[in-house]
Amino acid sequence: MNGGVTTPGRLSAALGLLCAVLAGLSLLVGSAGAGLPGGAAGGLILWQIRLPRTALALLVGGGLGLSGAVLQGGLRNPLADPGLLGISGCAVLGAVLAFYWGAAQRFAPALPLAGLAGAGLGGALLLGFAGRAPSGPSLILAGVALSALAAALLALALTLAPNPFALAEITVWLMGSLEDRSLLHLALAAPPVLLGCAVLLGLGRGLDALSLGEATAASLGVPAARTLRLAALGTALAVGAGAAVAGGIGFVGLVVPHLLRPLLGQRPGALLAASLPAGAALLLAADLLVRLAPLALPLNQEPRLGVLTALLGAPFLVAIARRAAP
Amino acid sequence: MRAIALLLALAAPARAAERVVSLNLCTDQMLVLLAPEKVAGLTPLARDPALSYVAAQAAGLPVVRPSAEAVLGRRPDLVLATSFAAQTTLALLEQSGLTVLRVGLPADFPVIRAQTRHLAAALGVAERGEALIARMDATLALAAPRLPPVRAVLWGARGYAAGPGTLGDAVLRAAGLEDAGAGGRLDLEALVAHPPDLLVVPTAPRFPSLATALLDHPATSGITRVAIPPALLICGGPFTARAVRLLAEPPGR
Repeated sequence: MNGGVTTPGRLSAALGLLCAVLAGLSLLVGSAGAGLPGGAAGGLILWQIRLPRTALALLVGGGLGLSGAVLQGGLRNPLADPGLLGISGCAVLGAVLAFYWGAAQRFAPALPLAGLAGAGLGGALLLGFAGRAPSGPSLILAGVALSALAAALLALALTLAPNPFALAEITVWLMGSLEDRSLLHLALAAPPVLLGCAVLLGLGRGLDALSLGEATAASLGVPAARTLRLAALGTALAVGAGAAVAGGIGFVGLVVPHLLRPLLGQRPGALLAASLPAGAALLLAADLLVRLAPLALPLNQEPRLGVLTALLGAPFLVAIARRAAP
Repeated sequence: MRAIALLLALAAPARAAERVVSLNLCTDQMLVLLAPEKVAGLTPLARDPALSYVAAQAAGLPVVRPSAEAVLGRRPDLVLATSFAAQTTLALLEQSGLTVLRVGLPADFPVIRAQTRHLAAALGVAERGEALIARMDATLALAAPRLPPVRAVLWGARGYAAGPGTLGDAVLRAAGLEDAGAGGRLDLEALVAHPPDLLVVPTAPRFPSLATALLDHPATSGITRVAIPPALLICGGPFTARAVRLLAEPPGR
């Protein structure tokens, strides 16, 4: 049951290499054309436009992939995902409230902090619910309800926002986008995302113990409650700040663990190290496609990032549902 | 030119109106400038200083929601609207016996002159119209072509750039600048790759949006920029000449 065809270390290294290759490609693709941007403004385009976008795709994707692996292990549910559970939606709602009413304009860190607060609140609500119904479909349903509530409040907030363009920007927040982000966004998102990833990466033993049942986990000295609290905290950090600058990108956290299990086996702790670079590579690849689309197709703007991840993720969800059906 | 012909083709009403409702931000501003005492209703947008040049005066004038029922309640004898207005609303008003005057959205100064005269005649204040035009022309006369030529891009929310046939293009050219914009969406990378000599942007709004935050992206910080109050550029009117003046003598030169 636990056997995989490769080791987490070897797979992580290979995925890290894939990330490096994709990052190199990513620096070569933009609306100014393919290849290294030349001319007097070449450096500016490379460092101020393409670099922050590339780094954010890796960070946000890594945070989503790792959170998905931890949530699926901790909640013992193959459908757990920060997007599906409404944690991303709550983070986006927090960020929107901080952005459109000017708080982030006066104090830039208000944006990621509000994202963290939203994600933290969403995580706490789910955790409270999980205390009563620790796993199974009811938790996913609670997450779906939370996600719908967050989306409705997001639409309401953007309707009430004082800037007339706000409502038209709902797709950016619901589907996610990394278009025209700057080094400031990178500086705001990186510390919490990295801290969250560090917390989540340390949960391997706790998740493995939890997979044997809560009583066994407690007897092994890693109580389930502590593991779940740290999982919620780490997810809020890793997802909240990312969603604050990139919007709610769905399905990355859902898909990544399922892609890795055939290679690494079922043990939740074994998935963690590889799910970080896998999520990063997946989101960066999606963002590359999003940028290539207007160069190849008659589009006057990029499709949203979440459109691509949903095109990949929704069939995946169906496949999981079919496998789970009796 | 087609717009002028269209305006001239519309015959002015025989008798000047006394109670006038406007259903569009652009006609709001013309009505307030020409005949504030005849206002029976403006759109709520007329009071927004970020959008309306006459926001201060409009604060003391009645506003009305642009629905047929609300407008009929004001018992106007003339309704001003743009040709882009909700046609169902206008049809309902006309069926109720109201005179509806549809005007275009001027994208050049000759059309602004023609529209100002046309509306002034309809409101029975021809001499006020001429005074507004004279002041506008005096302001425009202050601008002269720059030598060597200055390539400018007017870059608005979401990265939409002025280009041939737009009001923004007319403003840049009237200010003696060369319009380097092509119209449509001008991507951040494309702008930075071929930076203009002068970047003209709307003044940052008090409350942000992603659409307007784009204009402050740090990658554009090396391009000389001038900010223009967006209220001067949303509608073409005699006040649009002030945008020309701001560009002709940019602050700090």
